[in-house]
Formats: sequence, C-alpha cells, structure tokens
Amino acid sequence: MRRGRVPWSLLAVLLVVLGGCSATAHERVRITVATFGEFGYEPLFAEYERLNPGVDLVGRVTDFDSHHKGLITALAAGRGAADVVAVEEQYLPALRRSRDKLVDLSRFGARDLRDQWTPWKWEQGVVGDTVLGLGTDMGGLAMCYRTDLMARAGLPIDRDALAALWPTWQAYAEVADRFSQRVPDARFTDSAGTVYTAMLNQAEENYFRTADDAFIGDSNPAVSRAFTLAGAIGAKHQTATLTTFTQPWNIGINQGAFATMTCPAWMLAQIKQAGGPGGAGTWDVTTVPGGAGNWGGSYLVVPAQGEHVEAAYQAAKWLTAPAQQKRLFETDNILPSQPGVYRDPSVLARTDPYFRDAPIGRIYAASSDAVRPNHRGVRDADVRPIFGRALGRVEDGKQTVDQAWRQAVDEAHTVLR
Amino acid sequence: MRRAVTPYLLVAPFFLVFGMFGVFPLLRTAWVSVHRWHLVAGPEGFAGLANFRDLLLDPLFYNAVGNTLSIFLLATIPQLGLALGIAALLARRGAGWQVLVLVPNVVPVVAVALVFGQLLGRDYGMVNFLLGRVGVGPVAWQADTWAAHLGVATMVMWRWTGYTALLYLAAMRAVPRELHEAAELDGAGRWQRFRTVTLPGIRPTLLFTVVASAIGGVQMFTEPQLFDGSGLAGAGGSDRQFQTVAMYLYEVGFGRFDAGYAAAMTWVLFLLCAALTAAAVGLVRRVVRR
Repeated sequence: MRRGRVPWSLLAVLLVVLGGCSATAHERVRITVATFGEFGYEPLFAEYERLNPGVDLVGRVTDFDSHHKGLITALAAGRGAADVVAVEEQYLPALRRSRDKLVDLSRFGARDLRDQWTPWKWEQGVVGDTVLGLGTDMGGLAMCYRTDLMARAGLPIDRDALAALWPTWQAYAEVADRFSQRVPDARFTDSAGTVYTAMLNQAEENYFRTADDAFIGDSNPAVSRAFTLAGAIGAKHQTATLTTFTQPWNIGINQGAFATMTCPAWMLAQIKQAGGPGGAGTWDVTTVPGGAGNWGGSYLVVPAQGEHVEAAYQAAKWLTAPAQQKRLFETDNILPSQPGVYRDPSVLARTDPYFRDAPIGRIYAASSDAVRPNHRGVRDADVRPIFGRALGRVEDGKQTVDQAWRQAVDEAHTVLR
Repeated sequence: MRRAVTPYLLVAPFFLVFGMFGVFPLLRTAWVSVHRWHLVAGPEGFAGLANFRDLLLDPLFYNAVGNTLSIFLLATIPQLGLALGIAALLARRGAGWQVLVLVPNVVPVVAVALVFGQLLGRDYGMVNFLLGRVGVGPVAWQADTWAAHLGVATMVMWRWTGYTALLYLAAMRAVPRELHEAAELDGAGRWQRFRTVTLPGIRPTLLFTVVASAIGGVQMFTEPQLFDGSGLAGAGGSDRQFQTVAMYLYEVGFGRFDAGYAAAMTWVLFLLCAALTAAAVGLVRRVVRR
C-alpha cells in the first residue's frame, strides 16, 4: 500500500507547482509583435504603452527566414505565433491559401482604413471580402551607384545625367558593356538576380495570370525578356555573382566590387552599414531603368490563434497609421506605403548626406507613385527561386542562358504538378 | 501484485517519452505520407502511394541521394582513418592531448559552419588567399560540385575526428597488454601488432563508429545547409550541387509546404539509413576479421 502512494504524492506536488504558475493573474494585456530585420518599432512600443495603459507591447525580432518559417510552423501547429506578425509580401500568397488561420481584420472595421494606402498595397493584403493584413512599408525602387567606379569608366557621376543614360533596361545593359570595357577589375552590378527581380517587379504579371492564377512563366514575354537580358549580363561576367544580404555582398559594397545595384528604400540602411562611415560619399542614388518599381514591403497580420485578437488589431492599426509611418521614414528611411505620407512636404524634402545629399524623399516618392500592381500567384514562392537559381548557373558559367531557361521551366512544371 | 507493477512504473517514463517522440512521429509521418497534405492548410485528401511513386521518379531526389553518399564517403573514410591514427599516437604518449582533440566537437555546429564559410569564401576567403600565394587560382567553393562536397566533408571531419579518436583510444586501452607482449615476443613489428592485435581488439568500437557515422551521414543537414551562403532555402547551390536528402526534405516540407511528399521522403530516408548501416556493418565485419 505504502509503495503505491509514492507516484500519487509526486503527482500532487506537480499539480501544486503547475497551479502556482498559472495562478499569477494577467491583469495587463500582453501583445507580442513579431518582426524581422529592421522595422524601427521599439520606440513606438513605448509610446503606445503610454497611450494605452493596460497594454504591454513586446517586440520579438528574428532574421527573415527564421521569422517566416516560424510563423508557418506556428500556424500549422495552432499555437506559438505572436499576436501581431509582420509578413513580407513574398510570403503573402502562401498565407492567402490558409486564410482561415488569420483574423479577418474587416471584423474590426479595417475596411474603413483603405484610403490610407496606395491602392495596390491595400489590394495585396485583401482576398475578396477578407482583409488579411495592414500594409507597413514598401520598397520603392531606385538605383544606387558608386561614383568612383563610374568616374573611372568615364561615365557621368551626376545622378540626372546617369539616369538619362538608362531609360530602359536595354540601355542599362549597354552602359554595362561600356563600363566593363574600361574597368576590367570591377563588375557592373552585384548579381543577375537583382536585375531580373527589378524587371519582373515592373511587369503586371510574372509567373501567374492575374485572371485565373494559371502558370504563364513559360510563355509570359515579360519573364523571358527579363531572364534573357539579366542572363546575358551574367554570362558576360558583368556581375559580381554576390547574393544579396550575404557577408561577401557586404564586403563587395564596402570594397567597390561592383558599380551599381538596384536599391529599394530599405536597402539604404544596409549600404550604410556595409560601407561604414568611411564609405560616406562613395554611393549615390538615382532613378532606376524603367522609372519605377517596388521590391519588398510588409504587412501586419493577426493570427487567429491569439488570445487578444482585438487588442492585437488595435496595436497593428496604430503601428501602420500615417503618423507612425512618417516617423519611421524620418528615423530609419522606412518608406511609407501611404501616399498621404510620402507626398508630405517634409518627407519629399528629405536628403541623405551619406549618399552625397541625394534627394531620397523625392526619388522614392516618384518611384512609388508610378508603381503598378504586380500579381503574385498563390504558388509564386515555389516558382520564383527556381528562376533565380537558373540565373546563378549562368553566372557560374555552368549553363548558357537557353539551357538554364529550359531547365527552370521544366523544374517549375514539376513543382506545380 | 504490487511487486509486479513497480518495475514497470519505474521504466514507464522512458517508454512514455519514447512513445511521444519516437513512435508517435513515426506513425504520424506514415499517415501523412499517404495523403496530399499542405503543411499549414492540413490534409487535402487520401493519396495512397502516389507520393512514394512521385519520389521514386524524382530526379532531384536521386541528385540529393548522390550528393549525400558522396559527402558521406568523403567525410567518413578519411575521418575514421585519421581517428585511428590519432588514437594510436595518443595511446603511446598522449596524456593531456585527449581534451584538445575533443575541442572541435564541443564547438556548436553553427559556429563551425560560419567559420568555414568565411575560410572558404570565393572572393575574400582565407583558403583562396593562401592558394593564391602558391599560384593556384581562386576556387569557387560553393559553386563547384566537388569543391563544395569537399568543403562540407571537411567541416564534418573537423567536428568528428577527435571524438571518434577518443572512442578508439578508450577501446585500445581495453585491449589486454598480454596480447601485445605475446605478439612482441613472437617478433611482430609495430604495424603487424596494430593489424593483428589492436584492430580486432577494438572491432566492436569500429562497428559502432561506422554505424554512428552512417546514420549521421545520411541525415546530414546543418553543415551543408549553412555552407550555402546565399540563404536558408535548402537548395544547396544554384545547381543543387550539394543538396543532401535532408535538405531536399526541408525544401519540400518547409519551403513548399508539401508535407505529404516530405513525409514520404522521411520514410524513404529511414529505409536508406537502415540499408546503409547494414552495408557499412557488413563491410567492417569483412575487412576486420576476428
């Protein structure tokens, strides 16, 4: 009899311990906000808490990949997601497919906020009548270039004169040829992939048709034209074959391994970091070929599994409101996705001394105004990397542009089967 | 009656944990593998063996299997040989060195991968810099298939050689001295003694290390995954030149969210693991006779 009692007393102890843990009552509502990279939210959290006593905003920052994989896993498992989660636009299509895991924000009246955003930004976060996310920043596109390398190549270093040289990507490729002839020890751009991405983002349809989401990557002239042009630049070894955000890429920025790179607004901070204080004045910003474009940008979503979805929505609404977006641009160059903000005179007048006083407010606002919506299919993320790797094979000299293209199309068909 | 229950109660925690983290996932994976299953959205209908059929017809899967085997062989054979050598040296005089030999193994694998990634950089890597000094052109460590396999294998070797050497050393110490002395009296040289006394004496340990590295080799993930400087998609380079089976599994399951296909791959990986282990054991049994 005595022997049998041991486990029961153990169980009793366990219960007391567990009970003690859950007994600490939550008087305050705690809202976790998961972001990746640099959102600049920390100071805003403190202010929100001041305005809303009783709410604790807790930030959780991880890197891009872990953040999104973690969100997917948490949604699949039904627990573990933060109350408010930032989602980058390339992951948005995947979430559309499982929209029942997210709160439909129109429940709380998100539809009334619609006019804050530029229309395409709002549309991307909406499926039918369901509002999945509220837009944060966007990635209005410009072209960054190194003045010292341009000077060595005998090309203009003035930003307007340079922009006049490349009204189109075809013209940009011709400038690349001129550059490579004169400066053999540096490359013209960082990778074929960035040129390709920028061109794709200027087209309204990429791999999937807007009307019925059918795969058109193999027949859409916008895709094949971009692939051929970017591939040719890669095949001629005019790219430094550096993958964006990697350590070698950072060093390449610092050491002047390449002369130009497409740079959305959020990338300016990366260039400053990689270039260091000594790099001030080496990089400048001008208009991208094709005039406008968008690369990246995020949304705040509210997972349905959260305990305080309404409070979470209120926090997301406040964080994406015009006043906060404006502050984020002023402190961290995070480009607002709201015309009312980026056309604000103080935003338009913004220049950056690191980039030779480039009028970044004006450049990015002009680029953002001309952006056309860009349809991404539900399975876009499954196909996109395939074509990126194909360009990598061209740059590595393993395949010709045609071979790489054919293999990519085959792979895409297999994946979509 | 009570007497009969207590022992079972005492071992119950193990079986509970094993059931939760061993048996349940295994069965659950089998269940998922016969369905079309989106990782987030959930099951989308029964698929029978369609996932397995697709897998066996998937050239990317065979590419991954080939890479896994290649990296495994490149890493394991030199590793076990080196470990034997180090152990033999340590057995003769090595007080104090044992700890040093183990250091690479206690360094977290992520740190190892980061350091090797820097050493084996194409443009600014230390190794290419040194190669340049002796007139060898820069090696594209990530882009070239064989260079990439070698790079990943080096990482594995660096991490595990010391550990294996210590296991061998412990086993060598347990070989009776008398056998060595008898062999020496019979006029056997050092090499002959090593072959005829030491090796058969540590046979069980040899078997264990071969099995352990076969299992580790088939599941190889972290080293090649982090060797890819361009991101964590798990593709293993632009031509999938160093994508292992575990990486392909990750790409399919967590990149494409195709849980059904990934689950099928898990089971095939499991069988592959068993087959390779059996083959490795057979080989060692044949090479080192009692």
